[in-house]
Order: sequence, then C-alpha cells, then structure tokens
Amino acid sequence: MPISLLKFPTDLLREVFKLCDPFELYKLSKCSKRTQRFIMLGGTKNWKIYYTGGNSMIILVDCWYYNFMGTNNPEEHFETHHYGSIHLMHIECPNGNAVDLFVHLIDTFGIRFVKSFETMSDKFDNVSKVAQVFVDKNMEIVQFEIRNFDEVQDVANFMPIMKQMNITKRFSCHQKFPPNFQHQWIKYPKEIDIGESFWFTIDQLLNCTCVEIKLDKSSLNNHDLNVFLQKWKKTGEFPNLRSLKVRSENIDNQSPILEMIPPIVDVKNQRVSALIYNDFYIRMIDAVRVTKDDGTGGRLRVDVGDWPELNFLIANPADEDDNW
Amino acid sequence: MSSTEQGTSSAAPAEPTTAPESAAAPEVPESFYYVHGKDKVVHKVSAGALQHSALIHGMISNLGYTEEQAKANPFPFENIDGDILQMVVDWCNQHKGKPTPPEDTNLPKQKEKLFDLVLAVNYLEIKELLTYCCKQVAMMVKGKSPEEIREIWMIPTDAEDEAAEKEAKKRAGKEAAGETAAAAGDAK
Repeated sequence: MPISLLKFPTDLLREVFKLCDPFELYKLSKCSKRTQRFIMLGGTKNWKIYYTGGNSMIILVDCWYYNFMGTNNPEEHFETHHYGSIHLMHIECPNGNAVDLFVHLIDTFGIRFVKSFETMSDKFDNVSKVAQVFVDKNMEIVQFEIRNFDEVQDVANFMPIMKQMNITKRFSCHQKFPPNFQHQWIKYPKEIDIGESFWFTIDQLLNCTCVEIKLDKSSLNNHDLNVFLQKWKKTGEFPNLRSLKVRSENIDNQSPILEMIPPIVDVKNQRVSALIYNDFYIRMIDAVRVTKDDGTGGRLRVDVGDWPELNFLIANPADEDDNW
Repeated sequence: MSSTEQGTSSAAPAEPTTAPESAAAPEVPESFYYVHGKDKVVHKVSAGALQHSALIHGMISNLGYTEEQAKANPFPFENIDGDILQMVVDWCNQHKGKPTPPEDTNLPKQKEKLFDLVLAVNYLEIKELLTYCCKQVAMMVKGKSPEEIREIWMIPTDAEDEAAEKEAKKRAGKEAAGETAAAAGDAK
C-alpha cells in the first residue's frame, strides 16, 4: 500500500530519512529533483567519505561502510551486495570518471567531511582535481596521505594545494621531494609524519602546534633540537605536543641537547608506554626524565651512530604504563 | 457533545494496575482520562497509558480532575480519525508502565493506515511509537529500485512537481488579484 511520503511535515521526513541507509537515500535522490534536495534531512551532511582513487567510493555511517561502486553497465545499477560490515552498491559513473563520481556523491549527500584522502592508486591530475574540490568546498579532511606519486616534481607541485586543505588530524607523506623544495604551513593538523623532511626547518618546528610529530631524513641538528627543547621547557610552550621523533644524520655527539651530550639514555632500563589522547600508544625505553618549568615531565632519548634519532614523549602520568 | 464511551478501556474496563509495592505503602487509585477523535467516540485511558504521549501528559499533569470532571471534559483530537486514535490508545494501553522493546510486535500492521498513524503519533508526541512507525515507513523501500520507491512513496515526477508549482503560483496570483480588487472596493 503506497503512502504519500512527501506530504509528511519536514520533521517527520527527517525521522524517516534518518532510518534509511545511504543506498536507499541515494536511490531516493534519483526519483526527482525534490527528493534530491530532501535526502539531506537524513543527516547526510555529517557522513564521512573516503577517497583512495578508482571507482570505489566508501562512505562511513555509524561504523558501517557503504561502498558506492561506479560502473558503466546499466544492468548493474543499484545492484547491492553485503559483506560483513561492508555494503556495496553499483551506481552509474558520471562521465566514466572517478573524480566526477566522487564529486557527484559529495554533492548528492552534501558531505562535508573526508575521513581519509590517499593518493594511493590515482593519477596526479585526478588527485589535484579532488584536492581542489576539497579546498573550494572548504571540506574537512581528517587524514591525508601522499603516496605513490610517480614524479618527485608532482609532490612539489601538489604541496601548494595541500597547504590550502583543511586537514585536521593527520598528514603523512613518504615521498621524495626535489632538493630545493620549500614549504610554508598555514595550519598544522594534529599529527604529521614526513618521510623525507629535510625541508622542515627549525622555525617550522618552533611554530608547530601538532600533538605528534615524526620527521624522518630531517636536516635538524643538535643545536636546533636544543633550541626546540629549551623553548618547550618554558611554561605554556607547545601545550599540544605529546610526541616528537626526529631522525637526522645531523644529530651527533658533538654538542649538548638540554645540557646533555648524546647519546642521552637512562641505563636503568626504564620503560614507558603511554596512551596519547586515547588515540595512539607511544613506547619508549631507557629514556631520561626532563622537566618543564611548570613541573610537567617529559621523557627524552637521543641516539647517535648509524641511526641518529631523538625521541621525546610528554605523557599524562595517568596514561603511562611501565608494564608492557 | 453526544459521546459513546468505548475503546479498549471502556469496553473492557481497565483495572488499575499497580506496581509491586511494599505492604505498608497505601494503594493509590489510578486516574483515568477521556479522549476522542474526529468520530467523537470517547476512549477511556489511564493516566499511566497516557504518559506515552508527551502532549497529553503535559495537558493533564496539573489538572487534578476528579473522575467526573475528566469524563465531562474529554480531550478532543478532531484532526485524528477515530480508528487511528483507537490504534494509538491500544498501543498506549499495551505499553503502559513497560519499557518499550527495540522491535515492537504490537505495532499496528495496517499499511494503509500508516500515513495517518504517523501524523497522529507525531502530533500526540509519542516518541517510541513514532520511531517504530517511521522505521516501518523506511522499511517499505528497503532494497527497492528508484522506480519502485517512486511508486511506494508516491513521489511525483519533476514534470508533475513543476505543473503543481505552476498551478500553485497561478492560484496565489488569482487570490492576490482578488484581495487587491476587494481592497479597492472597500476604499471606494
């Protein structure tokens, strides 16, 4: 028995649409221009989407994954399959193109959040187009990972767009950069993990607002790291920072860091494992206790030799666990 | 108002249901209220059952009616069909003082009444029943194609929407012209 749904008042439509899954709302959007507008009442704007390239777009709703798979075979359109917590539906791929499919989905549902953006298996042109869409629509990108760019220059060309993106949680990049590469950050996400970070300067580190910083193949030296830690010791400095890891060939045993000549270790074999913001674990061994002017404690370990590395951890004592 | 007292409670007078209490606690007699829909058929419902409706609960909470006063002043819900109100009253009685289960097997099954039932339940602010009803509406299109959804939910096509919009504009224009003419006539 049919019912005239669109005669429901808006608050009732909202209740019904909230109980529909993304596939039903998508199909509903195909019924008319009016239903296309109405489906956003189902809270679709708060859904999170993934972009990893290819014709498979995943939307996360309440811990369930909905995979919209673009296909040019009309016979497959709206076919659904279910695999555990993953649901899949084939839909028409606009212009047979992944970027257009992605834009079509974020426009259809009014999605504002990107859970994860990875340049995993996509052409540089597509990645740039998608990134520009994020910037133009001022979308929030929770995690962004650059990988598998074919050309070194592609990464350098991409970074100015990256700078404009609103990345909130994590930026990671394990690509090579051209030797003359420079970058200015507008805003830092909570975590950065850069595999080739020679271009990340001490000034950038001193202004960094991250919770977790990982810099590999860095150009920072003992003096830079000492300046950084001396600043950290002052009350109110780096209030967000919980973990810093710097790997640099310029870390050596020639000058002090916090009045200590590396290697800086505590031979009492102190172990510490800390849960940071209920999000990730950091583990350290043989670290030296250092203290901020306000009494906040930190753990520092600096190794030299074949793999020079500085590890610094600031954990809430309640989150520390020495029995791991 | 000529009222025929019927409905679940009046057809089978509900005995006041009391929660298990200690022997020392005095038994409080349950109070009853009366409601009627468009068909003026009056339903006697206990205050406990009516607690499901935030609207009615708000209306009765400070009334302090005696049984006679309540009987003489049934709450009129002229916008709700009698059979729909009967369904709602039945559901409230079945769920009186009980936590509502995640899947409600006592939900009225008549699909043809679902539209009116949802509107009534929304109006009476019966949150749990509304969620069940909306779930049933949502389930109607589970796994259906856009064409089937259009039929099940009676969704007009774009052309029909445009025609309806044109018609509405035309009507609004006529009404506005009529009002202007009437105002000019008044001014003369």
